[in-house]
Amino acid sequence: MVTAMKESRSDKLFLVFIYLFLAAALVVVLYPLIYILSASISTPKFVSSGEMWLLPKGLTLDGYKLVMQNPKIWIGYGNTIFYTVLGTSINLLVTLPAAYALSRSDFIGRQFIMAMFLVTMFFSGGLVPSYLLVKELGMINSIWALILPVSASVWNIIVARTFFQSTIPKELQEAAHMDGCTNMRLFFQIVLPLSAPIIAVMALFYGVSHWNSYFSSLIYLNDEMKYPLQMVLRQILVLQEMTAETTGASISGDIAAAMNNKAEIAALVKYAVIIVSTLPIIVVYPFLQRYFVQGVMIGSVKG
Amino acid sequence: MGKGKKGWALLLAVVMLTTTLLSACGSPDKKEDKGSGSKSGTVEVSKEGFPIVPEQINLTLMAPDVGVQNWNDMAVLKKMEELTNIKFTYNNAPKDSFDTKKNLVFSSGEYPDVFLAAGLTAAEQMNYGEQGILIPLEGLIDEYAPNMKKILEENPSIRKSITAPDGHIYALPVVDFNQPWYRNPMWYNGKFLKKLGIDKLPETTEELYTYLKRVKEEDPNGNGKKDEIPLSSVNLRDIRTWLLGAFGVYEEEVYVDDNQKVHYTPMEDGYKEYLSYLSRLWNEDLLDHESFSQTSEQKKAKAQNNQVALFSDWHAYMTMGGEPGMEDPMFVPVKSDFVDKPVIARNRGITIGAFAISNTNKYPEASIRWVDYLYSYDGALLFSKGPEGMLWKYTDEATKKKEYLPVENIETVRSTLTPNFGIAIPSVTTDELLKGLKTDFDLWVDKESKEKLLDKGSRIPFPILFLTSEEQAEVNVLSSDLNTYVRQMEAKFVTGAEPISNWDKYVATVKKMGGDRMQEIYQAAYDRWNSN
Repeated sequence: MVTAMKESRSDKLFLVFIYLFLAAALVVVLYPLIYILSASISTPKFVSSGEMWLLPKGLTLDGYKLVMQNPKIWIGYGNTIFYTVLGTSINLLVTLPAAYALSRSDFIGRQFIMAMFLVTMFFSGGLVPSYLLVKELGMINSIWALILPVSASVWNIIVARTFFQSTIPKELQEAAHMDGCTNMRLFFQIVLPLSAPIIAVMALFYGVSHWNSYFSSLIYLNDEMKYPLQMVLRQILVLQEMTAETTGASISGDIAAAMNNKAEIAALVKYAVIIVSTLPIIVVYPFLQRYFVQGVMIGSVKG
Repeated sequence: MGKGKKGWALLLAVVMLTTTLLSACGSPDKKEDKGSGSKSGTVEVSKEGFPIVPEQINLTLMAPDVGVQNWNDMAVLKKMEELTNIKFTYNNAPKDSFDTKKNLVFSSGEYPDVFLAAGLTAAEQMNYGEQGILIPLEGLIDEYAPNMKKILEENPSIRKSITAPDGHIYALPVVDFNQPWYRNPMWYNGKFLKKLGIDKLPETTEELYTYLKRVKEEDPNGNGKKDEIPLSSVNLRDIRTWLLGAFGVYEEEVYVDDNQKVHYTPMEDGYKEYLSYLSRLWNEDLLDHESFSQTSEQKKAKAQNNQVALFSDWHAYMTMGGEPGMEDPMFVPVKSDFVDKPVIARNRGITIGAFAISNTNKYPEASIRWVDYLYSYDGALLFSKGPEGMLWKYTDEATKKKEYLPVENIETVRSTLTPNFGIAIPSVTTDELLKGLKTDFDLWVDKESKEKLLDKGSRIPFPILFLTSEEQAEVNVLSSDLNTYVRQMEAKFVTGAEPISNWDKYVATVKKMGGDRMQEIYQAAYDRWNSN
């Protein structure tokens, strides 16, 4: 048979359903993106009334104008990039050696250390003790509070450890040792160059979590010049909900007018800010997506 | 095996050593904290005039931040620093998550010197006051806060409302007797009124019903469709108090009647009448069927689409869109056959917990003098409208008459000048404060409030008061369950999911959940407040 096998009727039907299903999945995934994009260039009135549901209505770029004029967003942008780069570097510096050490079967006490690591995955001191710890370490209102407490993620260490265990053959290490290679050299010159995929995956996992994180900055930072972008974004988004509370008994005319004023601006800026802040990740993601898939695969093969 | 054991022992030793080291590190710090707490500043604080201190002192301050302008750059705060010689470091937290941060700070042992606009609840004041974290202010007020002292002397009820059961004042309030509204008023869509030829607003529940029915049926927005929504609400919270008044109930949770008897609303007969009335509106599609699910944004969108006839907001234009205008009149409290006249709730006039001093503050005298300025005419004006010459100027300083300068967007500019934007900053609002600054619209709103609410005998439904710690604890437990149940049942009764004939069963459940006890506790607290 030279030509491809002729598809039977049931195969065709099957294919049709696959396409239908994929089309539905595409719509589900794509719709929110398009909606936000359209909403960001529509008049807020049409968005909240539901008249704008797919294509922009009442075209306006005021939202973007306000975003561009807002110095806080740019400061936040700068901070986020800084925290992400610095934080991710430290994450890698901590995670990869730890994972490699734990992957070595000749490492004494590895079961115990792994067990201790695992405990932290299920139990934590909670918010107040964590805050007290960070405070006692003198990191309140310092960028280190955003970086050091999250410098190692046990889950990522496990993923990386599994990668080292399954991809770096033991024989390679033995051969290197025979040639008089030290552990340090082995790690830096042999293991790391062979581990490009896991490094990329770790950098991505950590990078995205730094980019999206706001809770630690909320808790530990006092100085708004240090706020990351997500904090600025959150402030803008939440302002709008606050107007719902102005029905409270304890407000004055000034407060009500202020809230109304803020809500109008927030409605205008909200979607534009979402676009501006997620754009870098959205742009980068397609290029790095294959690593993501690989990373998840590595974790799933052997736990 | 032997190798493994050795490893365990080694690790255990390391862990133990670390623990010892850490605990050793912790203790000296704590001692230091306590030491600095009781220490008082050596600086001399002048009892009147400015500057407050001869040499600059530094204090830390914690406040909620609405995120418009960095507090270090606000003209009002710079002016205050110049005036008083007190320099603040601002440890602010975003307003939306302020409570989380506030709790963390209180449990961390390291407090800001001053809490500003922190919304300290009665329970917090008592709790942290008893622990000594917040210091008693009454002595300081007598000596260093003449403006506050005067307010308290002229209004004994304020003193009663801010004094904790242990006799101390731990936090100062915002005082505003010019604001009569208990909840945002309700407003009629003026265009609909005109179209339907209404020249007298409904004054009874039946008249209101008839009007809403006409809106539904006679297409007042003239688009040929029956898309009018006669009454729109978000969770009923915004309209509840106004309609309860028609059935003789002042407030949605607890109120006191004219005979000093405290009532717990969800068990009252008036509340039952209110439920049946709303249920009737719901059944005939006069109450927006999205009332339990929509956001205020969605409600506004409907109003701006010219669909809504009656709604609640601070001002009508905030919902209807456009500029402040006088065509949408305020709702006149209606009455039912159940009562002789409607009852109307009035604002309590104070917001508690706006200013407190912590025990780490080395200069409590200077701090209280700083805040006392905010309770003077000049200070309140400064914080409300910014320094003279930026937003406003005097046209006649002797009579305190002023006018706005030609500034394009007053609220936006104001938000960059003063922290008094969207948060409850300590202040006292007087008639003089806004003299000359009121627009025709403001005056019209004042007139509407006076004629429709104040002149009809509105009063405070229940004073602000402190419960004792035990009472507070009990109320916290009871009310969290009760509120959930009551709100759920309210929605069920209104939407018809639960027939109103099940009222007795409902009341029995509320009583079982502690409704009676709530009434008792608040009655006891009220009697105490009243006899003081």
